[in-house]
Amino acid sequence: MRLWLVALHIVLVGTNLWVTAHFQEDLPEDNEFAEFEDFEEEPSVPVQPVDVPEQFEEADITQGFEEDDVLVEDGDSEFDHFQDEEEFEGLDATGASPGSKPDEPSTLTITKVPLHLRARWDSFYLEILMVAGLLVYFINYIAGRSKNCRLAESWLANYKQLLLDNFSLVGDNGKNSEETTESDLFKESESQYSLYCSGRVGCDSLLIELKLIKRQDLVAVLAQLIRPQNDQAHLRIELAKDEAENFVLAIAAKRTAMHLARDMADISVYCPEKRPGEKFGLPAGFQIMSEIAEAASAILDTRVLQAFNKYAPYIDYIHISDQYSGPKQQEDATQLTMPEVKKVLLVGLNISIKGRMPNAETQEQMRPLLQLTFYLIDKLRRFKLSKEGKNKAEKNRLRVEEAFLKTTHAARAEAAAQRREERRRAEKDRILQEEDPDKQRKWEEKEQRRLAKKRAPRMKQLKVKAL
Amino acid sequence: MNSSTDPRRPDKEVKYKPSLATSQAQPGDDLTPDYMNILGMIFSMCGLMMRLKWCAWVALYCSCISFANSRITDDTKQILSSFMLSISAVVMSYLQNPQPMTPPWATAIQ
Repeated sequence: MRLWLVALHIVLVGTNLWVTAHFQEDLPEDNEFAEFEDFEEEPSVPVQPVDVPEQFEEADITQGFEEDDVLVEDGDSEFDHFQDEEEFEGLDATGASPGSKPDEPSTLTITKVPLHLRARWDSFYLEILMVAGLLVYFINYIAGRSKNCRLAESWLANYKQLLLDNFSLVGDNGKNSEETTESDLFKESESQYSLYCSGRVGCDSLLIELKLIKRQDLVAVLAQLIRPQNDQAHLRIELAKDEAENFVLAIAAKRTAMHLARDMADISVYCPEKRPGEKFGLPAGFQIMSEIAEAASAILDTRVLQAFNKYAPYIDYIHISDQYSGPKQQEDATQLTMPEVKKVLLVGLNISIKGRMPNAETQEQMRPLLQLTFYLIDKLRRFKLSKEGKNKAEKNRLRVEEAFLKTTHAARAEAAAQRREERRRAEKDRILQEEDPDKQRKWEEKEQRRLAKKRAPRMKQLKVKAL
Repeated sequence: MNSSTDPRRPDKEVKYKPSLATSQAQPGDDLTPDYMNILGMIFSMCGLMMRLKWCAWVALYCSCISFANSRITDDTKQILSSFMLSISAVVMSYLQNPQPMTPPWATAIQ
């Protein structure tokens, strides 16, 4: 299993939450203010010396002659200290502070440094988590994909001989027979593979669909922990048209039975009633939906019951129907014809239980179940309903058809009216396009007469009422 | 009686016809890729318009899930465009505002 992948993901999410919770506390530790102090003071150093000499020069001009003696006293040293850098430092420190305003610290503006300049990797922890999550997802994708592929290939390898013994054509993909791929399976998605077989007595074709767990999708893998699912093989056998009797029968595990009765058109119409399987000798947990009781007891003979009892967890459902039209369509009044039906035998088998890798033992257990399917095909071919059963089935089909026609009556009438109207408009266009005015006039007269005729009976009726 | 004889009938072979409506989604089909596609599109739009970074990231995840669940017969252009949209939502939101993302629940914790 890739439990370590799941654990890694949980750890990542955990760190994410932890860091979020502590993120606010970290902020004050950034001593960015100190950096700004240095930054602010540097330019002030060269500016000060320029200002100071100017002040002194002005003093010279205004006071120079009046206070001669004072100036003479320290005449030599007067300009010497301009060259002395140490002097300026002192002057800067002593003279600048009293000269400037007392509330100088408040004028110190901190320039906003763009955030990206001080961005550090640890502040992008969420982004790093996101990218890590994507990486984990893709690693899981590749691992899950190859695992599913291996599973499907090994399944095929195990049963190919059995299929070859039963079908003259195994692994047709609908394309040119010349370009045969090395594998007979064809991939429908990363978790779904199909195999088509044909050429056997009693049936037209067999389509095996391997619906594996979506191991390539990390979300599905996580969902698997909560609600485990099975790798399944769905066998869809199209029975030969005139070789099987008309009846609907489904035997399914409890959960599947609920879905079948709700979603499948034929079951929900012909046999929505679910009966516990124990009555027929099936193991607990199976339910039977049967249209004709006689058929159910005939299909569930000792051999089938034995298989059911022995391999109960590996059988999901068996669905036999002559009216199979797939899942129920949405209530659609625009549909005017009965859906196309097929005679099918559908078998759902569990390859693995709750995602456990099928080992050699469970793989072997599938073989009798496939043989059971072929046995059922032969049995259906030979099985004949009694007269009463046949009548009942016939009656049921008629009843369903009548009900369908009744519900769609309005829609069909509307469609017919629309078609008539369409035809008339086309005729009118044709007449109008013709050059001959005589013909046009004739047609108009005809049309008038028709409209009058249409209105006439209503008039008559009114007259009768008036009298 | 039938088990002893060969059940194979080469004369009854029926060629495989790919199911009639592969292009349109059938009721039994897995709809995850379609839902994820739409969800990804909504999230990338939110990410682009409202500059919510987490939306853009969620959109990227959605398109990944859509890609992983897609059928072979599905249109690859659709998946590609969904990827492009979500990636561009991420890129645009970081170009506009290179600040690190604040998770939607950060305000709730405070």
